[in-house]
Amino acid sequence: MTILAVTRKDLMLYVRDARFLATLGLFSAALVLILSVAFGPIFHDPAGEAAATIWAALFFAGVLGLSRSQDLESESGGSDALRLTGADPFALYLGKTLANFLLLFAVFLLLLPLTAVFFDVGSLAALPVLLCVVGLALVGYSAWGTLFAALARGLQARELLLSVLLFPSLVPLWIGATKLTHALWDGGTIEPVRDWIKVMAVMDVLGLALAGWLYESIQEAGE
Amino acid sequence: MNRNVPDPWRKGAAWLWAAAFVLIGASLFAIAFRAPVEAVMGPVQKIVYIHVPSAMVTLLAFGIAFAAGIAYLATKQWVWDAVGTAACEVGLVFATVVMITGPLWARSAWNTWWTWEPRLTTFFILWILYAAYQVIRASIRSGSRRTISAIMAVIFFVNLPIVWKSVEWWRGSLHPRSVTMTGEMRQVLLLSMMAWIVFFAAVLERRLRVEWAREASARQSASGDADARALDPGVRGASRA
Repeated sequence: MTILAVTRKDLMLYVRDARFLATLGLFSAALVLILSVAFGPIFHDPAGEAAATIWAALFFAGVLGLSRSQDLESESGGSDALRLTGADPFALYLGKTLANFLLLFAVFLLLLPLTAVFFDVGSLAALPVLLCVVGLALVGYSAWGTLFAALARGLQARELLLSVLLFPSLVPLWIGATKLTHALWDGGTIEPVRDWIKVMAVMDVLGLALAGWLYESIQEAGE
Repeated sequence: MNRNVPDPWRKGAAWLWAAAFVLIGASLFAIAFRAPVEAVMGPVQKIVYIHVPSAMVTLLAFGIAFAAGIAYLATKQWVWDAVGTAACEVGLVFATVVMITGPLWARSAWNTWWTWEPRLTTFFILWILYAAYQVIRASIRSGSRRTISAIMAVIFFVNLPIVWKSVEWWRGSLHPRSVTMTGEMRQVLLLSMMAWIVFFAAVLERRLRVEWAREASARQSASGDADARALDPGVRGASRA
C-alpha cells in the first residue's frame, strides 16, 4: 500500500506540473527530430539509427524527469513528511521508482510513433516483444535513476552530475536496449542478441538490490 | 592538539617509503636492462611492465574504497571515510596512468591510439565514475559528504567486475583474456607489480596523513582548545570534510 500511495502522490505531482510535462514531451520529441535530421535524409541503417535515437532521447528525458521528481519533493517538504510517516524506506523508494517508470514509459509511448514515422521502422507484430524489452530497460533505468537522483539531491548542477553518473553506470543497459531494439526493427526477432536480456535483467536486479541496501543511508544523508 | 600522526605510524611510513624507492628503482632497472626486447613490438612492449601493475593497483585501490565505504556506513567512524577518499583519489591517479600508457601501447600494437573495444571502453567508464566521485565529493558542503562518498564508493565498485569480465562477455576484445609470461619477462612483471603495490601503499599513507591533519584541525576549530583530546580513529568525525 505504501508503494502505491507514494506512486500516486508522485504521479499527481507530475500531473499538476503541466508545464514540466509539456517541456519534457517537447524536449524529447525535439531530440528525435534533431537526430533523425542528423542521420537522414537517406538512412544507411534505419533500424540501428532509430534504435540509437529513441534510447538517446529516452535517456536525456529521463534525466530531466528523475531530477524533477526530487525537486518537487524538496520544494514541498515532501521528503521530510514521508520520513515522518515512519514508512519503510525501501517501500518509499519502490513507490518513487514505479512513478518514474510510468513517466518514462509515457515518454516512450510518445516517442515510438515519432521514431516509427521519421525513420520508417517498426511493425505491429514486433510491438509486444518491443514493449517487454522497453519494460526491462526502463525498470533498470528507473531503479538506478531514482537511487542516483536521491544521491544527487541538493547538489549543484545535479542534472549534469546525474548524466555523468547514470550514463556510464548503465552502459550495459543502454547497449542491451539498443541492440535488442535494433534487432527487432531490423529482422523482427531478438534471437541473435537475446543474451542481452540476461545482462539487462542482472542490471535491474542489481539496481534494486543496491537500493534496498543503501536507500535508507541516502535518506539519512539528505536530512 | 597534535596534527601529526603518532610516532609508530611515522616510523613505519619511513620504512614503507624506503622499500617503495628501492623496489621502484629495481623495477625500472629490470625493465630497462633485464627484460628481453620483444621480437614483434620491440622496446614499446616494455610499457606492459607499467601498464599492467598500474591497472592492478587501480582495482586494488577501488576495492579498498569499496570496503572502507561499507565500513563507514556500518560504523560512521571518520577513519573509514579517510581511507575511502584517499583510496579513490590515489586510485584515480593510477587509473590515469593506465589511460595514458594504454594508448601508447595501442598505437604500436593495434595501429591506433584508441578503439572502442570492451576493456578500453569499460575502463574509461570506470575512470569517468571515479573522477565524478571527486567532483561530487568536493561539491557537497553539508554534513552528508561522508555518507554520500561512502555510498558512491560502494555503487561504483559494481563496475569493477564488468571491467574485469568484459573481455569474456563481449566479443571483439583486443585485450587477451589472460597474460602468460615466462622466464625473465615474468620475473620483471612480478617485480614491477610488487614495486607498484608498495608504492601505492606509501602514497596512500601520505594521503591519509592529510586526512588525519584535516580532522585534527577541524576538531581544534570545533573545540577552540589547543589541548583538546587526542585524535582517535574510532570516534565519529568532527569535520564535515
